[in-house]
Amino acid sequence: MKAADFSYHEVVNLQDAIKIKAQDDEAVILAGGQSLLPALNMRLSSPTCLIDISKISGLNEIKIDGQTLFIGALATHSDVMNNKTVKDNMPCMIDILKMVAHPAIRNKGTHGGSIAYGDPAAELPALAVATNAEIIVSGQNGERSINAKEFYLGLFETAINQDEIVVGIKYPLLKQGQKIVFDEVCRRHGDYAMAGLIANIMGSKNDIKDLKLVFFATGDKPDVADKTARLYLDNGYDYDKLKNSLSSEIDFAGDLNSSSEMKLHLATVLIKKVLSKLEN
Amino acid sequence: MDDIKVNQNPKLGSLDRPNSYIGRSLPRENAKKHLDGGGQFVDDLTLPRMVHVAFLRSPFAHAEIKSINTNNAKKSDGVVDVFTAKEIDEVCKPWIGNLGHLGEMRSPEQTPLAKKIARWQGEPVAVVIADSRAQAEDALELIEVDWAEKEAQVDMETALDSNAVVIHLELGNNLFWTRTVNQGDVEKAFKEADAVVETTLDFARHTGVTLESRGIVADWNKAENKMTIYHNGQAPHMMQHIIAKHLDLNEGLVRIVSRDVGGSFGIKVHVYPDEMAVTAISKKIGRPVKFIADRLESFTTDIHARCHKISGKLGVDKNGKILAMEIDDLSGIGPFSMYPRTSAIETNQVLNLSGAPYVIPNYKAVGTVVFQNKTPMCQYRAVGHPIAVAITEALIDKAAYKIDMDIDKIRKINFIPDNAYPNKCPSGVPLEDLSHEASMDKLLEIMDIKEIEVQKEEDFKKGVLTGHGVISMCEVTNPSPLFYGVGGAHISSQDGAAIRLEGSGAIHLSSSITEQGQGTEAIMKQIAADQLGVKMESVRVTLGDTDATPYGGGTWASRGAGIGGEAVLKAARKLKDNILNIAAAIMQTDKDTLDIEDNNIIRKNGGEGISLQKLAETVYYRGHELPKGTNAELLATASFLIEGIPFVFTNSAMGCQVSIDQDTGIIKINKFWAVEDCGTQINPKLVEEQIRGGVIQGIGGALFEECVYDDQGNMQNATMADYLVPMAYEMPDIIVDHVTTNSGRSIIGAKGAGEAGTGGAPAVIMNAVNNALKQVNAEVVSQPITPEKILKAIGKI
Repeated sequence: MKAADFSYHEVVNLQDAIKIKAQDDEAVILAGGQSLLPALNMRLSSPTCLIDISKISGLNEIKIDGQTLFIGALATHSDVMNNKTVKDNMPCMIDILKMVAHPAIRNKGTHGGSIAYGDPAAELPALAVATNAEIIVSGQNGERSINAKEFYLGLFETAINQDEIVVGIKYPLLKQGQKIVFDEVCRRHGDYAMAGLIANIMGSKNDIKDLKLVFFATGDKPDVADKTARLYLDNGYDYDKLKNSLSSEIDFAGDLNSSSEMKLHLATVLIKKVLSKLEN
Repeated sequence: MDDIKVNQNPKLGSLDRPNSYIGRSLPRENAKKHLDGGGQFVDDLTLPRMVHVAFLRSPFAHAEIKSINTNNAKKSDGVVDVFTAKEIDEVCKPWIGNLGHLGEMRSPEQTPLAKKIARWQGEPVAVVIADSRAQAEDALELIEVDWAEKEAQVDMETALDSNAVVIHLELGNNLFWTRTVNQGDVEKAFKEADAVVETTLDFARHTGVTLESRGIVADWNKAENKMTIYHNGQAPHMMQHIIAKHLDLNEGLVRIVSRDVGGSFGIKVHVYPDEMAVTAISKKIGRPVKFIADRLESFTTDIHARCHKISGKLGVDKNGKILAMEIDDLSGIGPFSMYPRTSAIETNQVLNLSGAPYVIPNYKAVGTVVFQNKTPMCQYRAVGHPIAVAITEALIDKAAYKIDMDIDKIRKINFIPDNAYPNKCPSGVPLEDLSHEASMDKLLEIMDIKEIEVQKEEDFKKGVLTGHGVISMCEVTNPSPLFYGVGGAHISSQDGAAIRLEGSGAIHLSSSITEQGQGTEAIMKQIAADQLGVKMESVRVTLGDTDATPYGGGTWASRGAGIGGEAVLKAARKLKDNILNIAAAIMQTDKDTLDIEDNNIIRKNGGEGISLQKLAETVYYRGHELPKGTNAELLATASFLIEGIPFVFTNSAMGCQVSIDQDTGIIKINKFWAVEDCGTQINPKLVEEQIRGGVIQGIGGALFEECVYDDQGNMQNATMADYLVPMAYEMPDIIVDHVTTNSGRSIIGAKGAGEAGTGGAPAVIMNAVNNALKQVNAEVVSQPITPEKILKAIGKI
């Protein structure tokens, strides 16, 4: 389990990183390394070039930017969890991050890394989609903003170009009456979920005005289930109907710990579990 | 040791004296070293001119190796050489994992590297020797193998079918070993029974997952004809013999050094092909060679365990009295039986141990062990126990439900009474000094089973399935020569201790028992200091070096305290006797009026004594002052082995309560209780660590751990992310209590305590889960009990 040879560039500013990335098709960004390094050591991936961006200053900023909460790409999960601005403005993010692996991994793993890697079983991509976040990327032609739903294209596939790097994520601040509620089902605490759900809700338990359901660990990317959300708003919790709807809306992909049938079942009961957390 | 807190007012008789360390929960000194990062593991070792190896391992479960071309790999940066079976076989003779005492075993010859055919995914095929492990791994990619993939025999259940793929053609079929036990007349008894219950249980393969992976540095010194092996094993003298035998070396010139070992659980007590290859390479190239298994290699080459399917049948009369039990066990062990202990022992223990706590007059057991194209399987912590205990206890619960009797009552009326020992297992294996009745009583007392039943009903009304279980079990510990030695294996069942008083007054102790993280060193110190009458901190311990310790078996099968500890006790008593004799001569008094306390020889009737240091100085530096003819021997040795019976059994009773989420299938263990009777506890805290750690591994087997294979025999989850071991969040409160029935086989009276948790937890968890599921008329019969299995059982998916 030793990585194959690669060239290594430690950059101190974003422009250098972009330049190297633009020149080398196989160049890969190294931030916290919590997914990349195991893959390298197991030789599942053998990029020729690693660009270490962890020394770039300013990329870990967390701030309110207009009507959004901005989280810099290099903020670690622990940084985010311990940040007062996050706590005051989007406390649900802290609860969600508690389910991401374990403290040692959260101390190194970065917010931008998780967003950019786009693991379909990870929480943050689903949160970004559920909250309608914008992913800010920077490349040779400057910065652009990609809506989270458009960012995730398929299994580990994103809308980011070869010369671009995720620099931060803008989460719209929650409006009056808006809540983000989530739950997931794991074999062990901190594992990737067998299925998870993040719900973006406007209203109260008995009077939901708007509902967005985003599942993770179900398919090849965060799965938005608008039709099922609509059905819930119209009919309330009806296991069979919701399950049917979900099976038509999401292409469930089984894994080692749960078959596609299991995931469909869990996704369905997660609607009940998540919405029962709402207060009146 | 600056943190020892000795009770100033000890109440118990044996503890009521100075230096009474046996029976105290003293902190162990070596824990501090490890917390400090100061351990010395194999991978910490760097020797001059040392090279590293990486193995090319078969990517297929079954494949013909038509040719191997290593030319390009040999030219790769930093590569010293590349070997295949041809080169290794020139220095290492093959082995056969069969023993003679358990009937015919049919495993064929095995060599370090596969020749012509690879028979499991992960079997070593070629090896690169290079200046660094990374360079060796780079070169692996340049080895060209012309593989012809063959159909694999993956499923043990079809391994004996007429159309099965025969893994060793010369054997004609895939049978490795079979055994039948028949006591009484089960057929007749089942006819007479008022109720007969049956079940079939499945146990997935899992493995030991040691924190430190297997590792070895072999250093052949041609000038001295000496082979030094730094190895993180459990049985240094066994390895000394094996390496000498297969590499044709003078056994006395093979030295095995096992310093710190990061967990073993039986994983590190076997002979592994890659480790033998490393030793052969060092002999061949005359340089030190290091191999540290990476985690991927650990998962596909460390022995796996369990992999059983067992059917059982139990007949009881209307009063709940057991009349007969019958089991039929099938197990798949991979393509070879492991050397030198064989892969028959787990099944053998299933047959020996099923029904062990109970009077079962008619007992029949059949065990069948087959070859398959998966990683070799062998003895892991609590060998066979989880299967034997689970089938027995599942059947007993079923019988209780069928005749409507409480689960504790049916056990109590069937126990071999505590006052009826010595006795025998239903299989005929001798038992002595056990306490199932007292242990179950204590368990029920600490569990508060009435309260648990009330809660179960309340939970059910709320839609939560809560259930509980209780079990009893026997635990094999302290094996005698009848375990391995009788079958022809050079595995010592005797252990030795050597203890000396040094010129400074310090005590040095060496023992053939080894330390793998469980605190062996601490308990050996406690015994020596206690018996000699010296402070703990004046005892220094050497373990794990065949050049420096007495000869013996090492640490496995929970034999350290009961066998090695007794040897230390005897040696310490001898040394004390010698010291008092010398002191009597110096002090011109009768020996019987003297004793040792706190490193001083005291006069029991008062008056001035002398320190051990003074005595040692007299002996070593001013021997002329001693009366002529004084026997001034300050080194004492002793050995101990269990005689007359195969094992010293320990017994245990366990209970647990679980809740099941009917939506997700997630099982939560709310609480776990264990009552253990391991005789004298030398250090109760370490005993409890053994039990708790064992329970956690048992929880792993029951709920999480499984080596998942696809139908081509490829392991699917060979990483720590995918192979699920229980972590802190999955660990329930484990309440440990004790009953103490000393072993009559030794002065110290200690039995082993390392197996029960792992052996009993799977049974009691499964019974608790099924107790919960019974409320919705469902049942699970397969471990690990995954959420998906629960949801299927209750019809949710």
